[in-house]
Amino acid sequence: MATTKLGFIVQRPGYKSENPKLALTHAIASQSVEIYLDDEDEVTCDVAFIGDGVLNCIKDQKAVENYQLNSTESHIKMALLCDLNIFVCKEDLDKYGLTENDIVLDANEMGGDLEVKVVPYEEITKMMEEMKHLLFF
Amino acid sequence: MKLAVFVSDYRMTVDTLERLKPEKMGIILVQNGVYHASVKEKGKTSSILDSSADLFALKEDLETRGIDPASIDSKVKVVTFGDVVDLIFNDYEKTAWL
Repeated sequence: MATTKLGFIVQRPGYKSENPKLALTHAIASQSVEIYLDDEDEVTCDVAFIGDGVLNCIKDQKAVENYQLNSTESHIKMALLCDLNIFVCKEDLDKYGLTENDIVLDANEMGGDLEVKVVPYEEITKMMEEMKHLLFF
Repeated sequence: MKLAVFVSDYRMTVDTLERLKPEKMGIILVQNGVYHASVKEKGKTSSILDSSADLFALKEDLETRGIDPASIDSKVKVVTFGDVVDLIFNDYEKTAWL
């Protein structure tokens, strides 16, 4: 049995470009490749928001109301529903004066169990070391 | 010259904005530019807010990013798309997009 670990690192703010949202859609899509894999092989992936990327995690985004556009917030919740690990860099949140109260933490209203993990950058580095492939967005 | 400058990025890789010296300047923060009105890095507000220009931020783009328009820096006036059209036609002769 082989497990391929993918790490998606989001380092830019959202909306100006599709870049951060693509990280999330790619991460979510990675969970649907099993039909192409040999039995017992699997792909897992983690997503980390660092630097300006943490701004993607601010909650109450009204993208649908203003632009008929799915919000990055809803993508984060979808990723949690797919049981992806989502990390947010604590130092970068602190840098912007943001706290856990300001960001998306869970997808409870959609039935998700996993929660976003606010962690020191050191832990994100550790996660990156464990990955087979790293993709920066 | 009366110039309205649209700032649509949070990270600016050029210093054009600081070098512009029109008779009257308005800076309209749109897209990711709205972070200049709300985000404080290490407690410090964006240097754009130190400008003597009139500062505006687009309400729709603030809300899209989860930013409460009422919470932004008091130097910045919140405007709607309709207000931006009025600014372009009534207050400024030229526009630039940075």
